[in-house]
Amino acid sequence: MSKAAGRWALLAAFAAASVLLAVGAGSVSIPPVKIVAALLGAGEDNTRELVVSLRLPRVTLAFLTGAALAVGGTVMQSVLENPLASPFGLGVSAGAGLGATAVLVTGLSAGALGAVLLPAAGFAGAIVTVLLVLALARALDRRVSTVTVVLIGMVASLFFSAVMDLMAAMSPEYAQRIGLWQMGSFASRGWRGPAVLAPVLAVCLALFLSRAGQLDLLTFGDEQARSMGADPRKDRRFLILTVAVLTGAAVAFSGIIGFVDLIAPHVARRLFGASHRRTLPAGALLGGSFMVLCDLAARTLCAPREIPIGAVTALLGAPFFLWIFFAGRGRR
Amino acid sequence: MLEVNDLSCGYGQQDVVKGVSFTLPENGRLAILGPNGCGKTTLLRGMTGFLPAAGSVALDGADLLKMPPRERGRAVAELPQVSTAWFAYTVLETVLMGRYAHLKSGLFSTPTRRDREIAEDAIRRLGLWEERDRPLTQLSGGQLQRVLLARAFTQTPRVILLDEPTNHLDLKYQVELVEALKAWSSQPGHAALGVFHDLDLALDFASLVLLMDAGQAVYFGDANDLPPAALSRVFGLDVPAYMRQSRARWEKIGGQR
Repeated sequence: MSKAAGRWALLAAFAAASVLLAVGAGSVSIPPVKIVAALLGAGEDNTRELVVSLRLPRVTLAFLTGAALAVGGTVMQSVLENPLASPFGLGVSAGAGLGATAVLVTGLSAGALGAVLLPAAGFAGAIVTVLLVLALARALDRRVSTVTVVLIGMVASLFFSAVMDLMAAMSPEYAQRIGLWQMGSFASRGWRGPAVLAPVLAVCLALFLSRAGQLDLLTFGDEQARSMGADPRKDRRFLILTVAVLTGAAVAFSGIIGFVDLIAPHVARRLFGASHRRTLPAGALLGGSFMVLCDLAARTLCAPREIPIGAVTALLGAPFFLWIFFAGRGRR
Repeated sequence: MLEVNDLSCGYGQQDVVKGVSFTLPENGRLAILGPNGCGKTTLLRGMTGFLPAAGSVALDGADLLKMPPRERGRAVAELPQVSTAWFAYTVLETVLMGRYAHLKSGLFSTPTRRDREIAEDAIRRLGLWEERDRPLTQLSGGQLQRVLLARAFTQTPRVILLDEPTNHLDLKYQVELVEALKAWSSQPGHAALGVFHDLDLALDFASLVLLMDAGQAVYFGDANDLPPAALSRVFGLDVPAYMRQSRARWEKIGGQR
């Protein structure tokens, strides 16, 4: 087996192990053999119920969300030629937060309608914000340079966050729910989230992989990408909108969970090289596994209480990111 | 082969380049000279349509300003001035990107065996074979510049545009880069033009010179006929005297022979 194939095998094993570990751990621990049996429809009824209806949907949603955020982060860093760029920096999180808050404070989130309305509003908020950022960038800078996009994304994020805070402050009875939504959680969501997010992730990942060569070119900046035959302004617009759809769908179901979008791409590049044909799938597996393990920590460390998942990703992610980033510098 | 006619371009409302015209024949090597801020780099950017431009740029009769991106990528390559790389692509991966405009379509396409051979040939020609699997982030400025030239060769263009290509290079690599470009330009159907800072190197490279001042061409013609008085006027310095002093300094430290 070649060195590269070995790394992929290790990554796949790591992903599978993290999923088995997370499904097995909890108030009742289930050994891997029984998990596999339950998935095949065998074993005791209550174990099967626990695995298929409770733990697996949660773990699946965590994995898909982590993968979606990692892929979105990878693409954003490339199209904005900025190692610190992320979909959240472009207003995806603030927009989704504002949309969700609007539904929460109007009391529309109650009942069956709310279960559909809340993620829909989060998704719509994310897309509308990114469209606004792109339109504004285009109006203010004819060349739509990456710096303009980053700056306007930052301004829009701060502005919409402030509007969201204002709404929350004016409706104190909903402040706690808004706060919880912002911190993100994968608790008790059933299969609805994975059923929507899985196809969205599959389509977006395929779109990005089909343009892997284009993404590689864009990391060299507009002028060089153009000189090699790309059309950076057009390509970047399409790629950013696709990222908005993907990450908007991810945050709609689980709230805003930071750091995975920032770290996973860097780790993927470190282990598998910069080429998007490898970074995208590797980032998806790494981001998914990392999110699953963070969620495991979130629900087991202080059980029966849950720690907000966003706090776990940041607590583990911040030092890890510093390590990755500065270890890389030393070698330059 | 390349005809630039009355080209004007700039940033925003203001034209930096004002009505520049010149022609470059097959196998021609043109050096664009002029003081800082006279519009040399802007001229290059206008010629490729990176900046909106008025006038026309025709390559073998086809309008470069209206050419679709991929078609232009097959016709013209650029060697930018770059001193750092941010993403750790390997040398081979980077050079192979030069084939982008030749791939069947932009989507899902991977380089063919032929694409690989072209890239590997360029890597060998520029003495980078030993470095082919090293990431760009670990290369010196000189090596990086050669990788980008290999990538430009791999595009198999008809014209290569250079933007101060030797800026970050040691003397030895400056000379090697110019030699590689001269060899490439002498092949059938090729021509090169570029912005140079170093007068000596420019005259070593060029068969033609375009001297610019304040966005306009003040001299265009054979490099051997370049009037020294025009150089001195444009640069605001007695250039022949400076060159004589330079030679005198060199002889003082025993460099004659």
